[in-house]
Amino acid sequence: MLTLTKLRYLLLGNEAIAFGALSSGVYVAAGYPGTPSSDIIETLMKYGKDRYVEWSTNEKVAFETALGAAMMGARAMATMKHVGVNVIADALMSSSYSGVEGALVIVSADDPSMWSSQSEQDNRYYGLMALIPVLEPYDPQSAYDLTIKAFELSDSIKHPVMLRTTTRISHSRGPVELLPPKEPVNGKLIKNPQKYVLVPENARRNRVEQLKRWERIQEEVEKLNAVEEGDDKVVILASGLAYAYVKEIIEDMNLNPTVVRISTPVPIPKKTILNVVSNANKVLIVEELEPVVEMQVKELLYDNNIHVELHGKDYVSRIGELTLERVRSAVGKLYDIPITEPQVISVNPSPRPPALCAGCPHRSSFIDLKRGLALASLSNTFFSGDIGCYTLGVLPPFNEQDSALEMGSSLGVINGVYRATGQIPVAIIGDSTFFHAGLPALANAVYHNLPAIILVLDNRSTAMTGQQPSPSKEIDIAKVAEGLGVEFVKTFDPFDMKNAIKIISEAANWVKQNKKPAVIIAKRACAIDVLETLKGKELPVAEVDENKCTGCSICYDYFTCPAIIPLNNKKAKIDPLQCIGCGACVSVCPYNAISIKGKPPEGWEEAWLS
Amino acid sequence: MVKLNILLAGVGGQGIVTMGRMIAEAAINEGVKALIAETHGLSQRNGAVNVHVRMGDVYAPLIEKGSADYLVALEATEALRNLYYANPQRTIIVLNNYTLRPALSKAKEMNMSEILEKLSAFRVYVFNANDIAIKAGNPKASNAALIGFLWSIGAFKDLIEHEESFYKALRLESNIKAFKMALEEAKQLL
Ligand SMILES: Cc1ncc(C[n+]2csc(CCOP(=O)(O)OP(=O)(O)O)c2C)c(N)n1
Repeated sequence: MLTLTKLRYLLLGNEAIAFGALSSGVYVAAGYPGTPSSDIIETLMKYGKDRYVEWSTNEKVAFETALGAAMMGARAMATMKHVGVNVIADALMSSSYSGVEGALVIVSADDPSMWSSQSEQDNRYYGLMALIPVLEPYDPQSAYDLTIKAFELSDSIKHPVMLRTTTRISHSRGPVELLPPKEPVNGKLIKNPQKYVLVPENARRNRVEQLKRWERIQEEVEKLNAVEEGDDKVVILASGLAYAYVKEIIEDMNLNPTVVRISTPVPIPKKTILNVVSNANKVLIVEELEPVVEMQVKELLYDNNIHVELHGKDYVSRIGELTLERVRSAVGKLYDIPITEPQVISVNPSPRPPALCAGCPHRSSFIDLKRGLALASLSNTFFSGDIGCYTLGVLPPFNEQDSALEMGSSLGVINGVYRATGQIPVAIIGDSTFFHAGLPALANAVYHNLPAIILVLDNRSTAMTGQQPSPSKEIDIAKVAEGLGVEFVKTFDPFDMKNAIKIISEAANWVKQNKKPAVIIAKRACAIDVLETLKGKELPVAEVDENKCTGCSICYDYFTCPAIIPLNNKKAKIDPLQCIGCGACVSVCPYNAISIKGKPPEGWEEAWLS
Repeated sequence: MVKLNILLAGVGGQGIVTMGRMIAEAAINEGVKALIAETHGLSQRNGAVNVHVRMGDVYAPLIEKGSADYLVALEATEALRNLYYANPQRTIIVLNNYTLRPALSKAKEMNMSEILEKLSAFRVYVFNANDIAIKAGNPKASNAALIGFLWSIGAFKDLIEHEESFYKALRLESNIKAFKMALEEAKQLL
């Protein structure tokens, strides 16, 4: 059995990446939250007190922060989820032309199976497009080791390097052996406009340099991959996490192929691969999602006139994450061994999607919005949603997200909706998303007089990804909107339903009359943050008066607070373990049957409203 | 090759991720390799959550279809949602005696006897972990109580030998108390 010899820590893959950066002397690290990447910056903030670590307003700013630091010779890192790399794409391409002076590592946390994402795009493709090497670990320990290798490679070639992790590495915990942290490597003022000003003359010269660096990278990556020798007639190439699955399956099936553990899917280690495939009768490439390694291997075989039976995406689907059963099936096909799948019983209990928390201000905002729009006779509208906890407004009973495509989409899409239909749309955007990608589209709405209602859900937090801080705490959104020239700007408390409805309908009527955008801001803190602020204090709790409750079901079916539970006689009951005494349900009950018991603790109002 | 696969299922907020970590830490305390695949992100907000705990000669983070040795549900309906990983010949199911209605408009929920009926092909234990947690003075300690129950049915044999390895992993006094109370409770149940 595998026994652990040295002292090891039980770490998440993301924690391992953060410690790898500390062991590499990272000095500047910046990121924008996004599952499954967020724990990296959080860990650096905790353990890297002698480094500069920040949550930036978006990925592009985070990446440019790291790039600027690496241009000055520092060791720098930027972290983001896979779709964040789309936001940095412009800068990423340029960084590959310019190169750096210190070291620049970009962590892309991909999400096969889309556990928390809108797509499962495979960011190894970015490496091929930008000519940036991509390193891919297979477990927390290798995430730590490869982070160190990524810094070394970037430093030796003076070129950006991408570390690509996935949900099952970032959010898997395993034993990791750590080296001590290294002194941070900071920068000094370096000016080199011939390299960093990408006017055509410089860019053309950089292009030649970029390809020279790419040649050197192709040499260097040969050292980062490993061959586990076995039967040389059957070869399995396993990229990143695929290695863990392949290793376990071949042990379990008692097979002994030659296995190449690929840590650099971009560029592939050509010499290593040529060496093992030239004797082989059969080759299987196991990789998650897209045929990135497969394409390159096929090119390599063609260029070297090698004809061999090769399988990849014909045996392992490109949809979704890998599993042991999928890899077992592929290996079974390779060896012509029939696999009998275990019989499993399948029961489908009613779905349990995530739900807005007890005390979540978004729930109240959705109810207020519906009623306010009805009052202004604007119920038939397009709800242009966005990405955040409030995307859950797509679920019944709210049905107030007609689209939510990518961060910032709400504000851009309403322009097209209005231009195509002439109908006044509503954009719903969170405070963190507003600063991330909302500002240019809001400027555009003012610039082109877009008649639309823009509702900013300011819960003072980047909640969906784990309550990271949001710029809204420092920068007043109402002032930003006014500064951009929005003429109707009002803020309300979503729990104060009467006033909220009044302001929403006022805004709707103003837009109809003036044919310009109105910004309304629902301001109340994320309930999880409030609980954190008031930790250890006794909270009030809601109570249902059984005599007044008629069992109308509004509180649990149309308000859907998880702390309100229906009894067998349809009357409502409060679950004291879940209720936080926020009071939002009180004004929702048409029969005044709900009241709040107990005094709010000291600091209650400030926690919710400041 | 010694391997142990435990699938933990429940609802976000119940402490499943912590439960996985406590089990894995106990394994690491004995020098045994452990891997856990956790659920993070939005599902942790009252959604269905599972955690894969694997120990021994393991490399992959996820349990193979039908290969769980134990399926432990902190909320009983969630066992049903994860039967993909279970197999009547192999899997022992442990249910916390607790169900929670999904926070959805007009949601339907199954009661305990309906759930048990669906699981009739399996060996199932039902355990009052929430009661123990409350008695131990920490309503969040149901996870520790269930670990205690797993220990008393020999779930970790050949891998974790010493009860003390759990104490360090459980960290809080109230967790250790819930763990020990679960051992007593299990004696009477078994
Ligand atoms: C480009 C990109 N970066 C990051 C994410 C991850 N992400 C999803 S929603 C969100 C922000 C949520 O904050 P906010 O808009 O304030 O809404 P809240 O969740 O607080 O309601 C983030 C960072 C993403 N989906 N896309």
